[in-house]
Amino acid sequence: MVKAYINGIGCISPQNTIDDNWFFESITPPAGDYFNALEPSYKDYIAPNLLRRMGRAIKMGVASANLAIKQAEIESVDAIVTGTGLGCFEDSERFLLALLNNDEQFLTPTSFIQSTHNTVGSQIALIMKCHNYNFTYVHRGFSFESCLQDAMMLFNEGKENILIGGIEEHTPNFVELNRRANKFQIVPTNTPFWESTTKGIQMGEGSTFFALSKNPNNKSLACIEGVQTLYKPKTSNDILSKLNTFLSLHNLTLNDIDVTLMGFSSDSEFDNKLQEIKPIIEKESSIAYFKHLSGEFHTASSFALWLATKLIEKQALPKSITITGNSNGSIKHVLILNQYLGINYSFTLVSKI
Amino acid sequence: MSERIYITGIGMISAIGNNVQESFLSLSQLKTGIGKINHLTTRYKDDFLAGEVKLSNTDLMDLVKDNSPDLNRNSYLAMLAAKEAVINSGIDTKDGLRTGVISSTTVAGMGKTELYYKELFEKNDHLNVLDTHDCGDSTERIADFIGNVDYVTTISTACSSAANAIMLGCRMIKNGLLDRAIVGGVDALSKFTLNGFNTLMILDKEWCKPFDENRKGLNLGEGGAYLVIEGETALNKRNGKPLAEIIGYANANDAYHQTASSPEGYGATLAIKQALDMSNLNPSEIDYINMHGTGTPNNDLSESIASKTIFGEKVPKFSSTKAFTGHTLAAAASIEAVISVLTLQNQLLFPNLNFTTPIKETGLIPETQLLHVPINTVLSNSFGFGGNCSSLIFKKI
Repeated sequence: MVKAYINGIGCISPQNTIDDNWFFESITPPAGDYFNALEPSYKDYIAPNLLRRMGRAIKMGVASANLAIKQAEIESVDAIVTGTGLGCFEDSERFLLALLNNDEQFLTPTSFIQSTHNTVGSQIALIMKCHNYNFTYVHRGFSFESCLQDAMMLFNEGKENILIGGIEEHTPNFVELNRRANKFQIVPTNTPFWESTTKGIQMGEGSTFFALSKNPNNKSLACIEGVQTLYKPKTSNDILSKLNTFLSLHNLTLNDIDVTLMGFSSDSEFDNKLQEIKPIIEKESSIAYFKHLSGEFHTASSFALWLATKLIEKQALPKSITITGNSNGSIKHVLILNQYLGINYSFTLVSKI
Repeated sequence: MSERIYITGIGMISAIGNNVQESFLSLSQLKTGIGKINHLTTRYKDDFLAGEVKLSNTDLMDLVKDNSPDLNRNSYLAMLAAKEAVINSGIDTKDGLRTGVISSTTVAGMGKTELYYKELFEKNDHLNVLDTHDCGDSTERIADFIGNVDYVTTISTACSSAANAIMLGCRMIKNGLLDRAIVGGVDALSKFTLNGFNTLMILDKEWCKPFDENRKGLNLGEGGAYLVIEGETALNKRNGKPLAEIIGYANANDAYHQTASSPEGYGATLAIKQALDMSNLNPSEIDYINMHGTGTPNNDLSESIASKTIFGEKVPKFSSTKAFTGHTLAAAASIEAVISVLTLQNQLLFPNLNFTTPIKETGLIPETQLLHVPINTVLSNSFGFGGNCSSLIFKKI
């Protein structure tokens, strides 16, 4: 079966992940009930004439793509595949508000042009002068997983180098509206994040890009063995049975998984099925969580993939993300078990080379 | 990887009809669906023409038989067209085979968001539009409407979106990840898109004139169209009947400009060439091209030059059917895929309306009359913002 080797990562997140050496030494707390990405000084990554017009999602996307490519030491790719749930929301909102405030008059095209969901992918293609395959997935909690799945298919079809990434931004207005709709909570300190009994998430954002190759090379950090999405499973047993089948395709069982990164979001309703599965998984594998550091967003699984790669690279499971277990020094297989709104579930298997 | 892919069901709703049969009648009678704006609330309703679906949201709600306040025009159009395709194919999603829904949209729930966005900051009445604003919403509505769907995803690559959804469905079947898929795209008309295209100054105030020297721009349209595609194995298992075969597809990027096509149509040339290579056809074996042909000065010239680069002086018979439907953005490629299937089934080439004068630089002349001619292969092009270029090749059964 085809694997995808990770040779470079660029991760802009609510933590200091832009610094490749950062490994949970210092943790940035959320701004109350949501997280902002810690953005770098973009002029280090993007030409000033381009930078001036770009919205925040585009800046985050282009800068993190740039980092991934540099780290992998490649100049061209056979495909650019991006995933985003809401696309360039800032530009969409800017055009929408201008339209509503001025009764459809006096509008300029820039924010409309940049509002299309494929803007990040096409800006990267423009900068890299890449005429190859270019796709943008926009399906909620499957946006990034679809990129991974596509990359594995492209490798199977003979491609060698692929750039994939998940991008999400929020705006102050969008945060405010979600707050008005009671979608957020400040996670109570008296209950563990993964045992939440109350509704609400902490929203996050960020952009993580990966330079992938079909074959391993001296830059390879880890490999992705497989990815699977699961739409609206009825019960936690459905998830477990699909998970066992997924692992058996790779000749593994839960017992072979050293760390399971679970997508607890702190919303009791959305996390319900993962809470039911946790006691079964913790008998076999260490369990860690990540949305208390990244926040919840459509492409949070791209942050989880950054994390899985780091755990394998450092062979360490930091206390700040551990729920149960201790896997220091023996991390061979990491499983990402994500959920989004309790509707979109996914498995991603990442292994040491 | 060598699994053959068949189209076994088609469904479509657009300005030229609420289903495939009505669409076929409009196409055969050369009746455009583009006219005065009736349903969209906009200050420009007397300034621009558009290809609106001729049903109100209430009419659409009655057709899907679901009065949930979470449904919007995008979802109605998607659900109706996808259901028609499923019924047409005769597939049973409960038979244990793996079924995917791969949809695409650019505007998603914006048509409803724009109605309430400002009041959301003051009143709580319509905060649920936040849940249906994104592109994934209409896809999951289709999946739930049809039932027993194993896989869902959504693509948004501007005006080439549905071509990429069709392509992805083919690839997932060939890669052994699905047995069959419901693939296509949807975009309802919104103030957001109408005003967006207006700022780019590429809307024609009169009927669009694709490939005409005096073309001024496009007419926006709306609609949804879906195909059921099945791998040969799955099709044989149920003794299903194919309508057409998909023998070639390709995706390339122009990498020239965020919204404009390169003068030489480099991305388009790449997409057409790669789709031809995959189908093992010589350019001379293409019988008809359903062009992207939006009617904008930039697209039609660039696409004409790309066609001449590939086909030389022997460009096959071609037309753009956007003067019937308007430019339906994410749905365009699947609407044109349905039209291509109708062409192959009925051996009828639907003409390019409103054409009188060839483009000076290329001199290409589209078909302007309904033609009953042998057509075995159709090439269908779709290009979009961000340089996304995709081509598909369909073959008669």
